[in-house]
Amino acid sequence: MTLRWLAGRLAAALLVVWGAVTLAFLVLHLVPGDPVDVMLGPQSAVGEDVRARIRADLGLDQPVLQQYLTHLARLATGDLGTSYRLQRPVFAVVTEQLPATVELGAAALGLAILLAVVVALLARGRLARGVAEALELLAISSPGFWTGLLLLTVFSFQLRWFPVSGGKGIAALVLPTVTLALPIAAILSQLLRHGLDQARRQPFTTSVLARGVGPGRLLGRHLARHASLPVVTLTAYVGGSLLGGTVIVEQLFGRRGVGRVTLEAITNRDIPVVMALVVLAAVVFVVVNLVVDLLYPLLDPRLREAQ
Amino acid sequence: MQRLGSQRSIGARAATAVLVLLLALAGCDAGGQTAASGEPRVGGTVTVGVEGEPAGQFNIHSSAADVAASTLRVVFDSLIAQDAKGDFHPWLAKSWEVSPDGLGYTFVLRDDVRFTDGEIFDAAAVKANFDHVVDPKTASQYGAALLGGSAYDRTEVIDAHTVKIVLKQPFAPLLQGLSTTYLGFISPKVLASSADKLAAGGPEVTVGTGPYRLERYVAGQELAFVRNDDYRWGPGNVTNTGAARPERLVLRVLPESAVRAGALTSGEVDIATNLTPSDAAELERQAGFSITATPSPGLPYTLFLNQSHGILGDEDIRLAVLRGINIDAAVAAVYGGKYQRAWSVLGPTTPNAYDPSLEGTWPYDQQLAASLLDKAGWTGRDAEGYRVKDGRRLSLSWLSTAAGGSRENRGALAEAFQADLKKLGVELKLTPVEIGTYLKQLKAGEYDIIDWSFVRPDADILRLHLFSKFAPIQNASYVADPQVDEWVTEAARTTDPKRRAELYGKVQHWAIEHAAMVPVYVSANLIGSSSQVSGLRTDPLGWPWYYDVWTARS
Repeated sequence: MTLRWLAGRLAAALLVVWGAVTLAFLVLHLVPGDPVDVMLGPQSAVGEDVRARIRADLGLDQPVLQQYLTHLARLATGDLGTSYRLQRPVFAVVTEQLPATVELGAAALGLAILLAVVVALLARGRLARGVAEALELLAISSPGFWTGLLLLTVFSFQLRWFPVSGGKGIAALVLPTVTLALPIAAILSQLLRHGLDQARRQPFTTSVLARGVGPGRLLGRHLARHASLPVVTLTAYVGGSLLGGTVIVEQLFGRRGVGRVTLEAITNRDIPVVMALVVLAAVVFVVVNLVVDLLYPLLDPRLREAQ
Repeated sequence: MQRLGSQRSIGARAATAVLVLLLALAGCDAGGQTAASGEPRVGGTVTVGVEGEPAGQFNIHSSAADVAASTLRVVFDSLIAQDAKGDFHPWLAKSWEVSPDGLGYTFVLRDDVRFTDGEIFDAAAVKANFDHVVDPKTASQYGAALLGGSAYDRTEVIDAHTVKIVLKQPFAPLLQGLSTTYLGFISPKVLASSADKLAAGGPEVTVGTGPYRLERYVAGQELAFVRNDDYRWGPGNVTNTGAARPERLVLRVLPESAVRAGALTSGEVDIATNLTPSDAAELERQAGFSITATPSPGLPYTLFLNQSHGILGDEDIRLAVLRGINIDAAVAAVYGGKYQRAWSVLGPTTPNAYDPSLEGTWPYDQQLAASLLDKAGWTGRDAEGYRVKDGRRLSLSWLSTAAGGSRENRGALAEAFQADLKKLGVELKLTPVEIGTYLKQLKAGEYDIIDWSFVRPDADILRLHLFSKFAPIQNASYVADPQVDEWVTEAARTTDPKRRAELYGKVQHWAIEHAAMVPVYVSANLIGSSSQVSGLRTDPLGWPWYYDVWTARS
């Protein structure tokens, strides 16, 4: 890992963020409808004078190019601006909601990986595999909203084991985590089992077995290592796109978090908040990709030699 | 003012309808009070599951959001209070007088009222607040209009506890406006020092004279209020005038109706507001829970028939639409009796204005509708069975958004009407668009049909929706009739309730006779509550009124 390599990655990361910001800015300004009109809603009897005043207050009366440059200049200094709708600094809005989403996302990803590994390693017999495959299909194809509502109805409303949500500690995190983790676990489990099967058919498996290595050691030291490469890639991708899944879960369980902030910001055309979230998403993907690039050589010795 | 059915037996549906009716009647009579059992208990916490929070809308003087006014009612008091019958009662004002020319409103204030930050409530505080409402910097979206808009001149301090509102021209809806949260009182200290932080809200700036003060606001999660122990100035239309009973009031944000209802049954919340008809019906079947249904006053859910251009410019076609859709069947199927069908462009609970003589006068009549279409010359048929005239299909476009269609399951009604009209040979195009496109087409009048409801306990709502100069917002039908203009203008100026009712009666008949709009159903705020809580009332809008609530739960 040379300094030059790191500098190159950093420059690429900046390019990605700039590209995302520019694209988001363009889209937000190309979609029809005035942001102030969208914010006020269709039934608002607010006069043109008041609308003009709000537009001026938000800087929306400036030419679009100037708005774009102002936005970039502010972003460069770390200023994310002020939310149109919430009338608060965007940085404060995002940072106060982010921990809740990170907590939910990390818990769900952790549970998903655990479930996937356990199911893929344990469900090896014909029958067990059939059951696992059916459950995976069910978990992937059920809408998150439906799964969540079902879990709530049984475990919260009927059995009363867990509260719906709120600042009620770890118990309130269980149902949202399971709702978010199930489809991810199912995809990872499918991929991991497929990888294990493929690795088992490789010629090296015969040679390892010929060396007198037992099935447990074969699985743990050789097969799992081969199968984990695509799983790591997919986990990284899923981790980066968890934000989308949290929108539904946060909405259903009435949890605070970035997902709901995103939804509200888009529906109310709160441009500064949407732009900040685009930056956040871009940074998360860049970081996740960097981590994956660093992980590959550890799993695959061939890559180590190449470097 | 601005804002998601089950199949059941006929017996259950009828029973629900009767119950809703009884609740509605009780609502008219006693201000929607639920049966209180025993002596009110002091202390405890009442937790309410609510649909939303007033994010960025804590400045009541600039916001137009329902959620701001309903959530912050417990923090901000008004000069006067309005009961469900439309009558006004003293609140922070002990008495008031309207000058004979209708231009001067003089209020004598209570002399024992303090804001929760220790500031004194007096005539200067009233003036500071109304000055803030009309200040262009406030960019008021609703409050300034409630204060009279261009009819408002100024507020004068007569003495320490007497204040006068001076108008440029008479504005009859003023008293109703003054009773709303939008014209409630914010601490003058906050107005002077941090008016720019009002919208974001928080314990330091959301300061009023109300029975509760904001203790904590956790965005996206909850609002916690703590009792104002010094409160002695409750409005004249409630039994309690001292401090509220529960020590804390917590509003938990649970956006999904099914989750609010579930949290109520599991005891996580004591009250659940804005329930869907099917969730409310489900709750009613369980012991220990009751539903309060208050029909909304103002403009019911209504279809506006754009007469400015195209096919609906022909009154016969509009009448055919009015009579050719089976409103009774659609409303019953979608809402299972929880919402009543509408017969007038005003809801029955709109104070001193609703005209019941319209009820039953324009029932579903497919034959009449067909003959009207024939008479209008749409006699040909195309390959798909739609009527044609001069080579043009009888086709109407309905402008909507996906969010609008999912609200109160309105999309299902639209589909029922589409099927009804197809039987008549009329094509109804339902293609929901994105909100930005929707607003652009609305402003340009590019639609045949558009829909909404507008909750307000004052018939002046008809002026907004029928006055020629207000097209297309709110006059989305593009009504331009000198006689109607005259009626609604006079009604807004006259302070004689009888004359107002007479004028609004004429307007309501006119709107149906000329099929300017098609009123469909009167929604109701369905509030579920546990038998552990008592004293829940609703205000004239049907919003919950927490001041009188107490809980048996310790």
